[in-house]
Amino acid sequence: MTLAIQSLRKFSILVFLCCFFSIFAQAQTNISGTITEKNGTPILGANVYLDGTYDGATSQLDGTFSFTTNETGQQTLVVSFVSFETFKITQEVTTFTNYKVVLIEDVNSLDTVVISAGSFEASDNSKVSVLKPLDVVTTASALGDFVGALQTLPGTTTVAEDGRLFVRGGDANETQIFIDGLRVFSPYTPTTANTPTRGRYSPFLFDGITFSTGGYSAEYGEALSSVLLLNTIDEPDQEKTEIGIMTVGGALGNTQKWDNSSLSVNGSYINLAPYVALLPDRNEWEKPFEVLSGETVYRHKIGDGLLKAYAAFDTTNFKLTLEDINVEDGILFGLKNNNFYANLSYQAPLGNKWKLLTGGSYTYTNNKTDFDTAAIHTDEKSIHVKAKVHKSFNSKFKWSFGAEQFMTDFDERFDTPFASGKIGYDNNITALFTEADYVFSRKFAVKLGLRGSYSDLFKEATVAPRISLAYKTGKNSQLSVAYGDFYQQPQSAYLKYTEDLHAAKSQHFIANYQYTANDRIFRAEIFRKEYTNLVTFTDPMASFDSAYGTDGKGYAQGLDLFFRDNSTIKNTDYWVSYSYLDSEREYLNYPIAATPNFANTHNFSVVGKYWIEDWKSQVGFSYQYGSGRSYTDPNLDGFLSQKTKGYNNLSVNWAYLLSEQTILYASVNNITNFKNVNGYQYADTPNPLGNFDRRTLRPAADQFFFIGLFITISEDGSDNQLDKL
Amino acid sequence: MKTLLYLCMAFFTISASAQSQYEVGMKKAFDLWGENKMGEASNLFERIATAEKDNWIPVYYTSQVNVIKSFGEKDPAVLKAQLDKALDFLNQAKSLTEEDNPYIKVLEGQYYTAWITFDGMTYGMKYAGKVTTIYNEALALAPENPIVIFGKAQWDAGTAKYFGKPMQPFCADVQKAIELSQNFEPEGAFFPKFSSDRAQEFIDTNCKE
Repeated sequence: MTLAIQSLRKFSILVFLCCFFSIFAQAQTNISGTITEKNGTPILGANVYLDGTYDGATSQLDGTFSFTTNETGQQTLVVSFVSFETFKITQEVTTFTNYKVVLIEDVNSLDTVVISAGSFEASDNSKVSVLKPLDVVTTASALGDFVGALQTLPGTTTVAEDGRLFVRGGDANETQIFIDGLRVFSPYTPTTANTPTRGRYSPFLFDGITFSTGGYSAEYGEALSSVLLLNTIDEPDQEKTEIGIMTVGGALGNTQKWDNSSLSVNGSYINLAPYVALLPDRNEWEKPFEVLSGETVYRHKIGDGLLKAYAAFDTTNFKLTLEDINVEDGILFGLKNNNFYANLSYQAPLGNKWKLLTGGSYTYTNNKTDFDTAAIHTDEKSIHVKAKVHKSFNSKFKWSFGAEQFMTDFDERFDTPFASGKIGYDNNITALFTEADYVFSRKFAVKLGLRGSYSDLFKEATVAPRISLAYKTGKNSQLSVAYGDFYQQPQSAYLKYTEDLHAAKSQHFIANYQYTANDRIFRAEIFRKEYTNLVTFTDPMASFDSAYGTDGKGYAQGLDLFFRDNSTIKNTDYWVSYSYLDSEREYLNYPIAATPNFANTHNFSVVGKYWIEDWKSQVGFSYQYGSGRSYTDPNLDGFLSQKTKGYNNLSVNWAYLLSEQTILYASVNNITNFKNVNGYQYADTPNPLGNFDRRTLRPAADQFFFIGLFITISEDGSDNQLDKL
Repeated sequence: MKTLLYLCMAFFTISASAQSQYEVGMKKAFDLWGENKMGEASNLFERIATAEKDNWIPVYYTSQVNVIKSFGEKDPAVLKAQLDKALDFLNQAKSLTEEDNPYIKVLEGQYYTAWITFDGMTYGMKYAGKVTTIYNEALALAPENPIVIFGKAQWDAGTAKYFGKPMQPFCADVQKAIELSQNFEPEGAFFPKFSSDRAQEFIDTNCKE
């Protein structure tokens, strides 16, 4: 009996438990609600779930969701959707009914406004990017020089015999070049007066290029007009050996990879002697141009940090007789240049969203110049060290600050039959900078910067504020404005004679409009630039006994237009640039305010590339036009009042993929053989008729022909050097 | 007898429903994927991944769905958002599994291929070498794995085709993958499977004389 009662009890407990469990099992909670954007637009496809459980759903077309859960108590509801910030809330699970969630747009997404005033990027991950990394080396007129490719962008002026970057009425010294954030003090190879220079560094070591024609970040100083930022590749793809055989020389490169590190080494040798022998140019060479150069990059990962070491060495040698209107037999000119650049940078996260970027660069340049009977020997050693910390408080607010030091030691020894001596100076500049970025929404962003700089040479401090704003005016368009103060010390050409100077100052005012849609970009930018404290001196040539001052001033203003279209015509990509520039200066030994000879009014360029599938070839052309440049004719009244005729250049190139690993490349610069004039040299004294004779300054060669064969040997055999061309 | 049958059926149903939540969830996600509901499949894989914190498989599939979805996507903003998500989960999957997991390599190869497919001019030169290296590494890790062999053959064939080189070696590779797949057992539940349909499709389009 007791047993029976017991079993009955057991049974009822069991029944009770079963009932309880089934009740428990049925104690499911319904979770439901709607998901919208800030403006009320429902979001389709968002992932809604209770954190750590399988319970969840995807939101419907009207933004609604509903699902059931067996979970009880406090639970975390998560809503995630691409390009929106993930929403999380912890509450009693039963309260999640008819729950309304408003998702906030993630300002890191591609739709967000980008501050674009003044800057052009050659990269593949930015909306402001106007060039692709490949463009730098496939532009017909560029001959593999990144500077040459940038000269097809608006804001640059055509100074054909020089080859450096002249930006918006500024001279070439007003543009500074940085590799991995560290200054390059002598970025260009030396050349003769009638041959354009090239960038010293091979373009394929860089995967990001930012070219700013004004209004740039407070991180960069000592540049009045422009900065060019080059970033080296973090990690090469694969081990490979590259061989280049060219009509003007040869190149060899090798890349090795290990688990946490990699090393790339390249060397090249260029000798123009055979080329000049075959196609003589206007120069009377004694020793045609010869350059031997080598570069190496070592990268090493340390935990989450990355250490990069970059070193480049090159040596240039040439000798020729320069034509001169005042010297019948010409002037003997010889140059031996050695240049060494090394740069070490380290970046690592410091935790809690802090990041450290630090490094240093060292440049050594040594020139031995023979000019007629004079021998000049210059030595310049420069160091740049920098440390910057960066903090992302959240996706909207970022802040950075840092300090840097520039040190230059310049020495010059000269020996002439009349005098000899030694001059030089030491120049130390210390700077502090800070910058805050705030993204109010995907539509509106602000960048504020401040830079303070102290010159040890002048015992003088400068403070430069900078501000940029960007506002999105439509789905595909945006408006940016920027203002900034920029300071730069005078060039060594004057500092070696006097230290009683001040830093020159420029102010930039920029407004930019950009429209991007369907592989087409249109940009329009207007600017005004004010110069003050420019160097002035009294004599025809700057020398020891000239009277120097820094009360020069000037302005530049104009309009830059850019259009690129990659989609209208199949397999065709082209871009068009136009710049209008109005600039005058009263500086150096100018008697009145005048337009300098490097600031012409109209510049126009078109670059086109066409891919021919059946021929496995890319053919390209580039056309550049620069309106006439100013010069002074002593036979007429006025200073810099005459204009040369316009400059024209049509170049074509052809890259043919012989096989996966071999490319044949050919290019012709100035194919239509325009006879360009860079300017005129007038005689110092008038001829018997009382007129000053003149000599036309022409390029060393009107045309240039290039053929090269590039072979890549890699383990897997798929890589080629197309990106080097 | 009928009762017995019902009992049996009931028993089997019970045992079927006694599958783990994980299995049910994963099956559901694959079904959604099969119905081409990529967004919902991705969401479900993601939910499983957040619940199963130490399991790389749902994380892997969250990434893969987003990669596959990106092939053919024309809007750069959408593409970047999806591929960023894919990369995020790919990196998570990497951290949850051994370094020599060949499937992660294959997925990584697919991720970069998605960029190249979107814009060959920009990403072709940048990533092509990388993809080749990744497939070589995957093959070195699992030389007899049909999924890896097929993935690599597809990629290599694409390049070879462009240069008008013969398809024959890749046909042989795919054939080998098909043969190996006969005796290929996935290493665990829901591990990537060999798609004999796609392999056959490759043979049909590329290997007919």
